[in-house]
Amino acid sequence: MNTPKLDIKNAWESRIIKHDRQLFRAQFSPDGRFIAAGGQDKFVHIWELEGEKKKVLDAHKTWVSSLTFDPKGNALFTADYSGVIHCWNHQKTAKPIWTIPVADSNNVRAVITTSDGKHLISAGDDGVIKVWDTTNGKQVTTMKGHQECVFSLTISPNGKFLVSGDLLGSIRQWSLDTWKPMRELNASLLHTREENFIADVGGVRSLAFSPDGKLLAAGGMKEAKSNAFCPGKPTVLIFDFESGKITNELKIKGKSDGPFNALRFLEDGTLAGHTEILHAASELTFWKTSQAEPLHSISNGSAYDLSLHPDGRQLLITTYVSGGSSGNGARKRFHEQYLPNTTNLRIFSLFSKPEGSE
Amino acid sequence: MKTTPHRYACASVEHGISRRQVLGTLGGTAGFGSLLQPGIAEEIAKQQKQVCLIWLDGGISQYESWHPLPQSKFAGPFRSIKTSIPGIHFSELVPHTAKIANKISVIRTMATKDPNHSSGVPRIQRGDPVDRGVEYPYIGSAIAKLLGPANPKLPPYIWIKPGNGGFIAREAGFLGARYGTLALGDGKPPIHIHRPDAISAEADAARNALRKKANERFRTYRSASEIDAYETSYDMAQQLMERKDVFDDSELDQKDRERYGTHPLGRHILQARRLLEAGVRFIKVNSYHWDTHGDNFNMSQRLIPQVDQPFAALVNDLEARGMLDHTLVIVMSEFGRTPVINSRLGRDHWPDCWSVVMAGCGIKPGAIIGETTADGAFVNGEGYDIGHLFHTIYTLLGINPRKTHYRYKGQKLDIAHGDCEPIKEVML
Repeated sequence: MNTPKLDIKNAWESRIIKHDRQLFRAQFSPDGRFIAAGGQDKFVHIWELEGEKKKVLDAHKTWVSSLTFDPKGNALFTADYSGVIHCWNHQKTAKPIWTIPVADSNNVRAVITTSDGKHLISAGDDGVIKVWDTTNGKQVTTMKGHQECVFSLTISPNGKFLVSGDLLGSIRQWSLDTWKPMRELNASLLHTREENFIADVGGVRSLAFSPDGKLLAAGGMKEAKSNAFCPGKPTVLIFDFESGKITNELKIKGKSDGPFNALRFLEDGTLAGHTEILHAASELTFWKTSQAEPLHSISNGSAYDLSLHPDGRQLLITTYVSGGSSGNGARKRFHEQYLPNTTNLRIFSLFSKPEGSE
Repeated sequence: MKTTPHRYACASVEHGISRRQVLGTLGGTAGFGSLLQPGIAEEIAKQQKQVCLIWLDGGISQYESWHPLPQSKFAGPFRSIKTSIPGIHFSELVPHTAKIANKISVIRTMATKDPNHSSGVPRIQRGDPVDRGVEYPYIGSAIAKLLGPANPKLPPYIWIKPGNGGFIAREAGFLGARYGTLALGDGKPPIHIHRPDAISAEADAARNALRKKANERFRTYRSASEIDAYETSYDMAQQLMERKDVFDDSELDQKDRERYGTHPLGRHILQARRLLEAGVRFIKVNSYHWDTHGDNFNMSQRLIPQVDQPFAALVNDLEARGMLDHTLVIVMSEFGRTPVINSRLGRDHWPDCWSVVMAGCGIKPGAIIGETTADGAFVNGEGYDIGHLFHTIYTLLGINPRKTHYRYKGQKLDIAHGDCEPIKEVML
């Protein structure tokens, strides 16, 4: 079957998977056959896309904060808020192959594998980037330099560099040959600490390289107004990776007040991003990175993760769904039905809907 | 010149008493004349009870602090940790308080009415008495009225807060401006605490005498509240001039600074301890920006340790100084935060079931009370409204809320909600 032509403006929701709790991370497997997701209910959920089989992996003791597959899809790595990382061969067993009990002082906020699949890299609250052997979970080395918690990691398309982003807006480039620091990029626009704040707000919540490796996108929000509601202006900074200079600042079309938690480049250089908003609809946004204004946007609930299917034509969005109990205080009639909010894993097909399809 | 009182001037007995007299008699028979029998007033005065209210404005999350419930479908991501009481767990974000759980009490079933800040803060700090058409005082002003100053040379009610300071009359409600609070912006004394070197003590006294004379004359033609506020603030500044030592940071032990934390709330609670030691009756310490509708978990991770560390240090220090027996420490907000987690990974306002922490002054050490539903969302049975908490506070301070009343414009007014009772489970 021929691969359909990318057509963002005619993207359509081709599938929806509902889950009864809030999920924060969801990724396609490298072979495109599975979706792995995790979040508030502590389980790792595996959906098989053909046949719709479902598997639940139970080992985390708290919220699942990040996950990634190895490049071949044989291993799944999942991390949580208490610093634990599990490695799973989900197709063979429902028990972890190995476990790292203390991968961070607290929350492991990001995990990623090197392109050769030999190393798992993690980062989180303690600001120290750790490199692990994917075969056994043994620590290989650490990379120190961040002064605050690290939110995001990405690897350059040529597989040579790791890039990490932290709360203070520091983006650091590291060599994957020597595990040494190379340089720092300034994304401090994504961090806010006003005089009357009692905490830092924002950070580099997401990172993505363009397919040719020439551009680095850093997502978050700028100009936070408080450390309570944490409302800010969702912002994506585009860096020319060679010079390290910011070449563009991308905006959204509609209203939103939260950070960009995930960014994904499509094969033609179009960038997809999603943000959050309090008690209202947000949007999935697409840009040509040379233009600040969006190329296209699709209304959606707040979302926390994006994953691009290996076919390059399907985008998975981890979307918040209100269960009807949100807002201030309980409504008496809801006492018996006061339930957590839920998730829709929405898959958008990034091409024109074939004629005759439902 | 003979003057005639203005028709709007209050002719009450209390306005006929000078500020110095009220402050100077520990609110004794003169200050309590219309409130209590002299014998009871003297007994209260002898007890020297003090209060430190740590107010986390906006609402601390009960799940991320005193009631973690990790198995609840509404639990946050943080681990629960053991406390010094077997079987009782707090969030990992309050490790210092967990160590002193055996010295404090937690009421986990506060169930109040108001889900909004604008009405919730006044309702909670006034104790939500039955509406009698008057503006009730906030708790600090009420205690200043009911107990007077613990040290006659210091203001009875000091409010340590971020931002600006100054004399704030509005918390006194119908009690009148003289029961307002002296706010210390960033914990610092009023700027006029230091008498300029160019003005001698004698000249300063003469200036003050002239000012008071002018005030008295002005008072006869005006409603008393404004001039009370002005005069009270001046008196308080003068009082503090005699106690510059309690603001002299050079006298602070570096270890104390580290134990309380160098962030504003840590510094302010440490300043509160110094003022309690000096004998201030009621101190409120405010911290703002706890209203975590957005990014609750990242914010809780950074905010909650800011109260955990200095609160535990304060309780330990008061105990070490023999002050905990007569000093009541309260940590609270206007409500808790929703069990449900919203679209911005925040928690909204939740008055339906939340927690208050107390220590000292007759609080039963280690009493962690209140039964909730398994998920922590609702109270099982009856919860405690703010009126119950006010009855508890007053009773601990030796004030019988059943027998003590305000009298205002001919009305006899309850000091706490008439339908409520003290929470006996947390009292020795």
